[in-house]
Amino acid sequence: MKRYVLYSIALGFVWCFVHGVVSLSNFLIGAMIGPFLIRPFKELYSLGEEISYREKLNRIPKQIHYFSILIVEIVKASIVVAKIVLQPKIDIRPGIIAVPIRAKTDVGITAIANTITLTPGTLTIDVSDDRTALYVHCIDIDNAKEIRDSIKDDLEEYVLEAFE
Amino acid sequence: MNNITVIQDILSNFFFFAGMFFVFLGMLGLYRLPDVYNRLHATTKIGTLGAFGVMMGIVIKLGFGPMGIKAITVGLFLLLTAPVAAHMISRAAHRHGVGLCEESTVDDYGKTYCLINSSCPVKHEETIEDEHDQM
Amino acid sequence: MNTLNLLDIALVFMVLSIIPCIHRIIKGPTIPDRVIAVDALATVIVVMLGVYSFVQESVFFMDVALVLSIIAFVGTVTISKYLDEGVVF
Repeated sequence: MKRYVLYSIALGFVWCFVHGVVSLSNFLIGAMIGPFLIRPFKELYSLGEEISYREKLNRIPKQIHYFSILIVEIVKASIVVAKIVLQPKIDIRPGIIAVPIRAKTDVGITAIANTITLTPGTLTIDVSDDRTALYVHCIDIDNAKEIRDSIKDDLEEYVLEAFE
Repeated sequence: MNNITVIQDILSNFFFFAGMFFVFLGMLGLYRLPDVYNRLHATTKIGTLGAFGVMMGIVIKLGFGPMGIKAITVGLFLLLTAPVAAHMISRAAHRHGVGLCEESTVDDYGKTYCLINSSCPVKHEETIEDEHDQM
Repeated sequence: MNTLNLLDIALVFMVLSIIPCIHRIIKGPTIPDRVIAVDALATVIVVMLGVYSFVQESVFFMDVALVLSIIAFVGTVTISKYLDEGVVF
């Protein structure tokens, strides 16, 4: 039941954004249509689990912090790749390495995979079968251990705080 | 014409041109880089950031009217879906048999994937678990 | 700077960006190359539609951009799933 309310609020915001005018009436229309849209696809939403509003609310500042860091990382990543593209003769040593991760839930793994894809020089390819490692394509491997450490220390901390 | 309008104009024009230049660089990367995975780096990161920059330019110029809100929607949608699409294409390419380019140094994913489909000449000692133990 | 200038510069940039995509679509050695190029082409056209909508001051082109980005994403995922597993659903 609590999940119905949360997803209805989210779908109300989506309705406002696609409609183009953010107002209370639009939000209420979207939130009222929401449950009818969730009902046919209820296997996708994991409605059985119990959650608490307080925990979700406590995470919002951490999620905002995470998104601000993500924006900075995206800009840095673009500048790094742009420098490589603008070199007169392209000199790169790409490769695929395995990176162990600590996140366990589906949302956590998705978030860290997308974060790795949007950060400098790395691109997630697949999750291993036992869900303990990600395969990451790096555009320029100097030192594989250094890349693993940077992912583990910098990015994964924020993801774990925000989504787990 | 007051100061705020001038600053808005300058900022939005800066975002427009930076975004378009980044999109151009991304497509140049699509042309120049050697194999599928490196090309994905270029289009996913630079192209998406360029599109997001152009949309931010529109938002800064017009404020949160109907067009600004829709521009934010398009930008966020591109930013959210680009990593997922890149992930799907690269996985499909690797399983479809597209190799890495000649300059590549390591390929951990190839080893484990070859172990799953056991018709591959890679030796069993080189699995990823051994590498975990060394770390 | 008047708006006509902005449209001209934007269109020149975008046409310059489309040329590598078309080269990659025609010549790309493998199928994933072509899929990436089509995806990138959709991104460029979305940017072009955004600028055009801004210059024409019409909201409807922004709807077109949103729908085009959704279609490009779904098409990319579908083709890569077909390449991967041989079936779509």
